Amino acid sequence: MWAAFRAVFAAIFADRAAALLLLGAPILYAVLYPSAYSGEIVIDAPVVVVDLDRSAASRDLVRRAAATSQVRLVAALASPQEAQEWLASDQASAAIIIPEGYSRAIAQGRSGNVMLVGSGAHLLRSSTALTGIGAALASTAREAAFEQARAAGPAAPPALQLVTRALFNTREGYGAAVFPGVAFVIVHQSLLLGLTLLAATAREKLGAPLRVTPAQFAGLGLAASTIAMVQVCWFAGLVFWWQDYPRAAAPVGQVLVGAALFVAATAALVLLLASLFRTRERPLQLGLAVSLPLFFLSGLTWPAAATPAPVLWLSRLFPTTPGLQVMVGLNQMGGTLADYAGALGNLAVLTAVFGGIALWRWTAPRRS
Amino acid sequence: MSFAARFGASFRREAAFLARSPWDLALLTWLPLVLCALIAWQLSAGVIRDLPVALVDTERSALSRDIAIRIEGAPGMRLAYTVPDMRAAESLARSGAVEAIVLVPPEATQRALEGRGQITLYVNAAHSAASSTIQRDMAAIIAAANARAAVEQIAAISPPGKVRPAPLAVRSLIAFNAPASQEQQLVSLLHPALLHLLFMLAVVSAFGRELRDATVAEWRPDGASIAGKAALYVLAFMVWGAGVTAYLAGFRGWALAGGPALLMTGYLAMFAAYAGVSLLLVGITRRMSQSLSLTGLYAGASFAFAGAIFPVDQASGFAKFWAEILPFTHFARLLALDWITGAPTNVAAAPLVPLGLITLVTAVPGAWLYLRASQRPEDWGKR
Repeated sequence: MWAAFRAVFAAIFADRAAALLLLGAPILYAVLYPSAYSGEIVIDAPVVVVDLDRSAASRDLVRRAAATSQVRLVAALASPQEAQEWLASDQASAAIIIPEGYSRAIAQGRSGNVMLVGSGAHLLRSSTALTGIGAALASTAREAAFEQARAAGPAAPPALQLVTRALFNTREGYGAAVFPGVAFVIVHQSLLLGLTLLAATAREKLGAPLRVTPAQFAGLGLAASTIAMVQVCWFAGLVFWWQDYPRAAAPVGQVLVGAALFVAATAALVLLLASLFRTRERPLQLGLAVSLPLFFLSGLTWPAAATPAPVLWLSRLFPTTPGLQVMVGLNQMGGTLADYAGALGNLAVLTAVFGGIALWRWTAPRRS
Repeated sequence: MSFAARFGASFRREAAFLARSPWDLALLTWLPLVLCALIAWQLSAGVIRDLPVALVDTERSALSRDIAIRIEGAPGMRLAYTVPDMRAAESLARSGAVEAIVLVPPEATQRALEGRGQITLYVNAAHSAASSTIQRDMAAIIAAANARAAVEQIAAISPPGKVRPAPLAVRSLIAFNAPASQEQQLVSLLHPALLHLLFMLAVVSAFGRELRDATVAEWRPDGASIAGKAALYVLAFMVWGAGVTAYLAGFRGWALAGGPALLMTGYLAMFAAYAGVSLLLVGITRRMSQSLSLTGLYAGASFAFAGAIFPVDQASGFAKFWAEILPFTHFARLLALDWITGAPTNVAAAPLVPLGLITLVTAVPGAWLYLRASQRPEDWGKR
């Protein structure tokens, strides 16, 4: 068993492509991926303004809007058509339109209407920007309007105010929302591609399917699990801390149990697939493009409630789906193992089924 | 032989190879089909409806009942649980049973009458698509509740003539995508994100394979035969590009605001740029496995850097630079301008310039390095 365990590591260090996948990729992606999301929150979104009212009140509103941190005023335009052109050519991400009669409405004690238009070209981005700009406008405009309309007596403040808070992910940034999930897809893909490449290479050299004893098979499984566990610790322990993502919400022992099950299911799948490939480069050709669908199937970005049932069932065949649910839940949301009993059971079933088929394929007597 | 003859001969030679090798053919046939269909199916709901929400009702008042009824009526939400405290609600959110928690705090009614009521909405920011839908619906619910409260309740306890509505109303709307569907946004970008990665894998394999198997000796490539070989893959993936566009624009009805001609030109320019990068990777490493690993590194994270879903404007200088050297970023800009906003052609076609530049600066040195390797038997057969 230990000979097989050591043989895996010897093979990794002797093969530059495998080393790049198993050792290089986790390090490079830990730097590369979070950098895409280093912006975290929207500040200085380019905004155009159309002031059709041209009054002291509307000019004051524009001045106050420009002073908020979310907004960078790029142009004052004469008509809503012009604003639409700015949005269409992506020079502005939102437009503030103050209609005619705004100041009169406030002076008469009615609501002054302001329109805030975001671009459909960047839907998620726009809704975040709109929420921020809208809140900033509402609060600054309230003061402005109060000053303008003091003569008419105090206005009724809205009876209810909606306060939105981020659950679990208190930083509410893109990186903090996405990377803690992506990291486990990276672990999965790194192990899958690196080890199947090694197995296919060995089989190519041998010219026949690889056959091992059950003890050697256990050594291979242990080696695969060790590499995956080191990667999980690297991301969950070091990279999340370095990037200051929400982390360690659950007790370490529970995180380790969840990680062990994810690692076991991944290693079982990898060993099964490793027994199928005959050409060294083939796993890379076919496996690299699967990463993006795997991430979407995991349900982190696209809610399970909006996913068709057959796709949901299919997604449970991959260790990444329950794995991400458990690991993001334990790491970022502060859940306990009991909260994820279903996903943990899913991982256990995958480990048993994939592991069983892999054991049979690796140890069955060679047909001559 | 003329350029055209060598181009054609190389094209036919590659087609004959693919006909014999089903696993290499898979990269341009069923693999793109399965992956694109899976993404399209998963996101086919488009507008997210009926997300489960928990209401923490600490008050059991007319106000909390009113909010519960409005949540039931909102298109994006469904009241899944009503619980008495936050602990129970948080546990539901952790296990994924609910996407958001609405908290009606103690004394909410009293405070609302005083004009300082507060309803707290907890959303899971990790689930970005769901949380933006819920935030939009909840804002509408509170605005509607306020409008009613202003008339019924505050008026009743205030002296007549003293009550007037809040001084400013902000109406938010989204231009160019009125139903706020995320299907068009996500699928229109996820499909080319998958296609360009598969395209690069196929092209890197095609050129790397000749060096690995030392078949360059018999192929004896020059500029024309390199172009002929790449053209087969460009053609196959242009068919996929047209196919996924027809699916989303025709079958699903997300009509192109601009024209299909510009979008297809964009696809062509993007594939040309990735062909150049592929050739450069193979030319530098001269090893198929290493250039495939590097392909994963280069093209695997394109979607995160394209800036269409998450903004990269605020990201670090390195991220901005990395985004600029990815052809997908420029293609995504062209797609947003042509498909969604319908910008004037001269504006929407601008991203073609950087795509052409990337093609030029990668294909020329790439072809030179590759042709040099094809002359040197010591560069063949490396694994």
